Amino acid sequence: MRTTMAQTSSNNGGINQVLVEGTGNVRTFILNRSKQLNALSFQMGRGRAFCAGGDLSLVFSHQSNWKIGANYFQKQYTLNYVMATYSKPQVSILNGIVMGGGAGVSIHGRFRVATEKSVFAMPETALGLFPDVGASYYLSRLPGFFGEYAGLTGSRLDGAEMLACGLATHFVSSDKLPPLEQALVKVNTSDPDAISAIISHFSHIPKLKDESPYHKMKIINRCFSRRTIEEIISTLESEALDTKGDWISSTIQSLKKSSPISLKISLRSIREGRLQDVGNCLVHEYRMVCHVLRAEFSKDLFEGCRAILVDKDKNPKWEPSRLELISDDDVDRYFSKIDDENWEDLKLPPRSNLPPYAIAKL
Amino acid sequence: MQNSNFSSMEKVNFRTRILTNHLNQETPSPHFSLQTTPCLSYNPPELSEPSSIFDKKQMRQLMDGHNLTEKDWLFGLMLQSNLFNPMKSGGKVFVQPDYNQSKEQQREITMRRIGYLLEHGVFKKWLTGNGPVDELRKLALLECLAIFDHSLAIKTGVHFFLWGGAIQFFGTKRHHDKWLKATEEYVVKGCFAMTELGHGSNVRGIETVTTYDSSTGEFVITTPCESAQKYWIGGAANHATHTVVFSQLIIEGKNQGVHAFICQIRDENGDICPNIRIADCGHKIGLNGVDNGRIWFDNVRVPRENLLNSVADVSPDGKYLTAIKDPDQRFAAFLAPLTSGRVTIAVSAIYSAKVGLATAIRYSLTRRAFSVTPNGPEILLLDYPSHQRRLLPLLAKTYAMSFAVNYLKKIYVNRTPEMNKVIHVVSSAFKAIASWHNMRTLQECREACGGQGLKTENRVGPLKGEFDVQSTFEGDNNVLMQQVSKALFGEYVAAKRSKKPIKGLGLEHMNASRPIVPSQLTSHTMRQAQFQNDIFCLRERDLLERFAAEVALCQAQGKSKEYAFTLNYQLAEDLGRAYSDRAVLHTFLEAEASVTSASLKNVLDLVRSMYTLVTLEEDAAFLRYGYLSTDNAAMVRKEVANLCGELRPHALSLVSSFGLPDAFLGPIAFNWVEANAWSSEQN
Repeated sequence: MRTTMAQTSSNNGGINQVLVEGTGNVRTFILNRSKQLNALSFQMGRGRAFCAGGDLSLVFSHQSNWKIGANYFQKQYTLNYVMATYSKPQVSILNGIVMGGGAGVSIHGRFRVATEKSVFAMPETALGLFPDVGASYYLSRLPGFFGEYAGLTGSRLDGAEMLACGLATHFVSSDKLPPLEQALVKVNTSDPDAISAIISHFSHIPKLKDESPYHKMKIINRCFSRRTIEEIISTLESEALDTKGDWISSTIQSLKKSSPISLKISLRSIREGRLQDVGNCLVHEYRMVCHVLRAEFSKDLFEGCRAILVDKDKNPKWEPSRLELISDDDVDRYFSKIDDENWEDLKLPPRSNLPPYAIAKL
Repeated sequence: MQNSNFSSMEKVNFRTRILTNHLNQETPSPHFSLQTTPCLSYNPPELSEPSSIFDKKQMRQLMDGHNLTEKDWLFGLMLQSNLFNPMKSGGKVFVQPDYNQSKEQQREITMRRIGYLLEHGVFKKWLTGNGPVDELRKLALLECLAIFDHSLAIKTGVHFFLWGGAIQFFGTKRHHDKWLKATEEYVVKGCFAMTELGHGSNVRGIETVTTYDSSTGEFVITTPCESAQKYWIGGAANHATHTVVFSQLIIEGKNQGVHAFICQIRDENGDICPNIRIADCGHKIGLNGVDNGRIWFDNVRVPRENLLNSVADVSPDGKYLTAIKDPDQRFAAFLAPLTSGRVTIAVSAIYSAKVGLATAIRYSLTRRAFSVTPNGPEILLLDYPSHQRRLLPLLAKTYAMSFAVNYLKKIYVNRTPEMNKVIHVVSSAFKAIASWHNMRTLQECREACGGQGLKTENRVGPLKGEFDVQSTFEGDNNVLMQQVSKALFGEYVAAKRSKKPIKGLGLEHMNASRPIVPSQLTSHTMRQAQFQNDIFCLRERDLLERFAAEVALCQAQGKSKEYAFTLNYQLAEDLGRAYSDRAVLHTFLEAEASVTSASLKNVLDLVRSMYTLVTLEEDAAFLRYGYLSTDNAAMVRKEVANLCGELRPHALSLVSSFGLPDAFLGPIAFNWVEANAWSSEQN
């Protein structure tokens, strides 16, 4: 994973979790926790992943004290906000897995370079969480209702699909990455037009694979535009009756396997996010994640972590177990303030003179 | 010491050098200056304004009232489709109709938008649903359509509320079974043929004639003269396949009054049916997405079953049958259900005013003009007390009327037959004042945006044309206000005659003793709900008594009651206003009573005081009839100015609570420097 920006470095037991190289105006950051697929930690890549997301095992091990988890997310979301509103152009080279938190530290940046090795996904609904790190902002701004599709099903997208839907701004084959990086370091500028020209020089438009969901935009729009998860599933089911292929049935399957409460709050989050700026998206996501961690209504995040990350039995027992058991009021509660004297809403660092592209990039 | 002196000397030299460079600088190339030294930079009001003292989400919940998630879903649905004409400006996406299209193009795109909404389930249960829950959802979604485009809302409203509503309310089971589901799914496209060239608000005077032919079991509908042509029929010019025709029904030579019939006007290919002639109403000052047309009926035959027979029927052998013998009552029963139109007009007028105010106030928090000190910084528009006085009272009135229209919706969806009169009076009054208020607000907002208000993309200007029609359709505002005064008169006279206390229409205050207004008003008194209520009640009761006395005097001179009303139009007008303002205030107090948050209550107190005091300041009736002394009137005026200053810090939060997504305002409400930059022009 590489991302080119401003300077920090963190250290964990003698091993640098983020490597920083710098010449002139250019800073190169390398996420360096390859064993954990560059999962984001407090300290923080290298290896086969750009970044496979936030390290939820940290959260899992602190179940009894939700504030430790909340503190982690608060820092992560603040970082997302700073990146989203950063005036210098960030170039993220997404040569591998980009999931969850990994998307959060790249998609908000100005330039996102996909390769044939890129794999993007927001798989949170299968974990009992919801697409966060500002996903309610960038997913909701994808064409049509593709964002609802990607965010609810956790469907994996390749580099070509990322470019087609706008998650990536460029596609460069991985063998051209070294010269691209050299060229970026050499030009030594923060002028977005100049940077764009350089990346464009190495990039091309790849062909979408035949079975890509991006070819299914009509069905996606028809189904994922529905007001509720129940309606989305029932529209998919009636669509399945007169459409061949297993794409629809696997889509339905992945929805049915996901945590019901996760699906409902994720849909609401994307819908609210569509009408909000990136700061307010992160503020509402922070409220949501605190409710998820407090686990008053549902403990699905911990059950998801147990089943997928810890015990690896891949058989989570969601509670509530069915969509019908969750009312609109239950969903509303995830968007309210936490009833706790010491808790406060996410405080975003003041950013003077926001550049317009920092407000809407996709 | 020496060293430091030297260094400060060096600093002076350095500054002098820099300043000399500045002064001697040649005119920089335009490219250079645009890139690096922007004269003005846009500061988002969210950063420059004090943060909100109240929870904007809670305020939005109070203002919007119901179905917020459904509304946000529909906003999102419109945002995500190219049919809604998204455009990028100043780094943001905006959706709004393309008014540069011809009227034919606007009509086609409006119909296609409806198709998209239909396909996505927006209209589900609009006619097949039942009860307040479904009805509120329908009203909420229609509000969102009107925020995008009035044409879209009207075209949808005619189909569902007028055509669909006529079948629901005037029809019986056989009509419901045949038409409601088909209408909800747009298998048929309906319109509503009531107004004629010669008759609008006076529906009883229409000239279309229908007779019954018992030999074939058909009604025969005729347009006997040019003034009887149906006029302004939304949907008729291009799309509608069916209409409800309002016509005099002549049975055995006797006119039984106005009745409604279903008549097909186009076939499944969209071709006009035989014996029907249709012409276009032409280009209009707004609403060009609605295909208003004119219809002539040349002895058109429709089956007997097409009479909407909830009130009266004709037997196969041609006998007129009705349970309501009195034609006046029959007619009233007939028109009562049409209230829905006035409800939706009142509500959408207030949302339109919100679009105007959100735009003008956001702009006034980022645009500067003139300095008050030599070489001082330029002043933000909204920091001028005069600019505050132009916009903030309108903001307060918009808040007040939001509560009023929420109340109207509430009584409408929970209606019972006994409530017909109340709903008629309240909806007439609120429809009139809300639509007038909207027009006035839009004009002020357009001027407050300066030249930017002229630009179509900034929305405020075009809304004036789009919403102007509201003051006359579904009842001319002036006529409606006269009906309000007549209804109040009726209640008053009936109570006097029966020697019982007045009950209903909020007139109960007249049973108590006359409120006393303090001879010397103080700031403290003026901000009390008690005083505010007292003076509004005093004006209403006094005007009602005067109006009743004048009418009685005319009648004593042998004039008819109707003529007496006509002669006393001035009092009637003042009374209509007095009733409306007092009713609005009551809904405000009711809404405030439901609020538990102290910070919300505090700001609502200010808003309510502003609403009341600016009404006292503006309506000459308070001085004319002596409810305010001239001294008190001066105090009121001063207090309005004080309130402007006190509301100023809340201006942004108050407009942010309107629940209008950014994309539905114009670019001028956001980064207008970037939106107008040369570089934006190049993309």
